[in-house]
Amino acid sequence: MAAQRAAVRQGLFAFRTLYTSPIRPLSASSAPRLASSSLEKTPAGGPKGKASDTVPKDLKVLLASKDELEHKEKMKGTIMVDVPLDITSISGVPEEHTKSRRVRIFKPCKNAMQSGTSNTKKWKIEFETRERWENALMGWSSSGDPLSNMQIDFSDKDEAVAFCEKNGWTWFVEEPVEKPMKPKSYGANFSWNKRTRVSTK
Amino acid sequence: MACSGGGSSKVIKSVARQVKPILSLDKADARRRVVNLYKAWYRQMPYVVLEYDIPKNVEQCRQKLREEFDKNRHIKDIRVIDMLVIKGQMELKETVEIWKQKSHIMSYFKETVEPKPQGFLSKFLAGHE
Repeated sequence: MAAQRAAVRQGLFAFRTLYTSPIRPLSASSAPRLASSSLEKTPAGGPKGKASDTVPKDLKVLLASKDELEHKEKMKGTIMVDVPLDITSISGVPEEHTKSRRVRIFKPCKNAMQSGTSNTKKWKIEFETRERWENALMGWSSSGDPLSNMQIDFSDKDEAVAFCEKNGWTWFVEEPVEKPMKPKSYGANFSWNKRTRVSTK
Repeated sequence: MACSGGGSSKVIKSVARQVKPILSLDKADARRRVVNLYKAWYRQMPYVVLEYDIPKNVEQCRQKLREEFDKNRHIKDIRVIDMLVIKGQMELKETVEIWKQKSHIMSYFKETVEPKPQGFLSKFLAGHE
């Protein structure tokens, strides 16, 4: 049993090396390279001063095949991807919450009781309401919906849309209603030509 | 009002873009990694059945393995494939080292999961949604 497991582990290790390294043909030149480099390093009976001149190389770099080095170099660059980003398969979110959720993208409106416009600058997302109930013991409101309290701000509408798209949610945008500001002044109540004075004259 | 369902969708459709690779540089590379992972899992199955003592035989496990891989067959994004391979590799490691327990293996089969009510009436009778 233990021997079997050891064998399996070996297999796993072999897989891991395969999986982390690029395609390498079996006839890779790593062994001959190693041999030749070791030959170069030991000039038989050479002066000892020369041996210290050779720059010690990283063993990994030394043992890597040509393909491996090429792959490593290419990994520093970029690759072309031509499909839209969709992280639903790797995000770990249950299918129930990636396929059937609807998102409202909106800008919160101004607090009617105050004149400040804070909290109206950023875009927010909100999910459709799922089942809610009143807690039987304490009377608190409860919900089984993990996304109901998610608070995310976006500085841009498109950012919010992109976020919804990559998470697989259907979405709609509610554009804020922009009202033109009307200048008001107390003095206008006593204007001579606006017919705002109703009692005396 | 822009909407993702309708034709007036304002989604950024120009999707071809340059991105940083995770493991693979091209599709063939990614495919090779997936096949390698599949083979490793496939060969592991007899030991999974033996060591975890699950009420399934090797064929059933391999069928489930196939199902799990087929679930992601539609994915074309190289980076997503790489990420899935990494996650699959991690799971394989957990399985081989017996960091998992019997129930973790059995949870792939979802035998204890009750299916959610589908139609309007059955949803209503279940008292949900």
